[in-house]
Amino acid sequence: MFQRRSRGQKYTFWLRDGFRDGESEERIKSYHRPHRRSSMQKSEYTCDHRPRVYKVFENVAQKYDIMNDAMSLGIHRVWKDALLHVMHPQPGAQLLDVAGGTGDIAFRFLEYIRLQEERQKRRAARSSQTPSWQDISNNYSTEDESRESRAVVCDINKEMLKVGKQKADSLGVSAGLSWVVGDAEELPFDDDQFDIYTIAFGIRNVTHIDQALQEALRVLKPGGRFMCLEFSKVNNPILSSIYDAYSFQMIPVIGEVIAGDWKSYQYLVESIRKFPNQEEFKGMIEDAGFYCVKYYNLTGGVVALHSGFKL
Amino acid sequence: MFKNVLSRLVTQTVRPHRYAPPGPVIQRLIPASGPLRSFTDRKDEAQPQFDASLLDVLVCPLSKKPLRYDAETNELINEELGIAYPILDGIPNMIPQEARLIQKDSTEMPTQ
Repeated sequence: MFQRRSRGQKYTFWLRDGFRDGESEERIKSYHRPHRRSSMQKSEYTCDHRPRVYKVFENVAQKYDIMNDAMSLGIHRVWKDALLHVMHPQPGAQLLDVAGGTGDIAFRFLEYIRLQEERQKRRAARSSQTPSWQDISNNYSTEDESRESRAVVCDINKEMLKVGKQKADSLGVSAGLSWVVGDAEELPFDDDQFDIYTIAFGIRNVTHIDQALQEALRVLKPGGRFMCLEFSKVNNPILSSIYDAYSFQMIPVIGEVIAGDWKSYQYLVESIRKFPNQEEFKGMIEDAGFYCVKYYNLTGGVVALHSGFKL
Repeated sequence: MFKNVLSRLVTQTVRPHRYAPPGPVIQRLIPASGPLRSFTDRKDEAQPQFDASLLDVLVCPLSKKPLRYDAETNELINEELGIAYPILDGIPNMIPQEARLIQKDSTEMPTQ
């Protein structure tokens, strides 16, 4: 089916009309095997596509990290590092990483905090010129601060969390790291629990984004920060056409070659196009009740980092 | 920044020594090969046991009430609603649809 598709006229359907065009709808429906429920219908994103999303990530869980590197040419690491940099967590912070899957953000968070603590200790050592032996031994033995800062990774998909947990075990990181299977629209956490809530490249997979945002507001402490990394709209037309060509031509192919799953990555690319742009999403976050909402465009708008506070 | 990316690409999977400092601390605590009921042990890594410190933050997603950890069946129980959330590989599964009903005469949990 994909081999038969020629480049000329049909290609432009993808770029111009998305899915509203009748002919392309039929083609979308024909991609799906008969027994699989198609969720890309016209009244589409209002229907619950959770089973579809679950299957997608279940299929790709083992190869998820490799695929991220291949698809984004390693740039996803830069985006995630930027998220941590903007977050600038201090020792003692409690993080909830939703749709955290394989734990990329959580690992970076713990590492950042560890470096912060070392920096603070060095600063303290420098300022106290002649520390007593008691001070020095206190510095070595207390691990209190690193026990206080904790990262909870929540994801709807067990497979992704299992991969993440294996990664943690192989890296030897487990202090202050917890894994929970949960739904972003119905978080299994009490109110006012976390300092930082992050959702990196996960919110577009949520069926009811406003519910997820309200849950985020609920579990954050007052003064807590909501941070969201997500693919967004590229404004520059040249970059936009390169990006579109790359997304629709290369990404499903890479998905097929590496993960053996064309359709999941096609779903990925389609879900990115469906997601609201920077301003719209900012509006949604403000509607949920967050203050001081702003966004940073990364890589020319390919990815946007949205941030808001619960006050 | 890209130097960072490259170095991470190279070293990402190959550094167990990097996190050596927590090692001695963990060994000081109760060894992981203890009985199943050792859920006072906060930092074990060897076996997939449930981390009881999670109980501080976890609540039932439906009623938002605290849960009770049952070591025998390895589940988190909400007595009020009569449901039990399973724990697999030390990871609690807090999806309401996957919870087990304890009492037979309870009504079905609403799906979402």
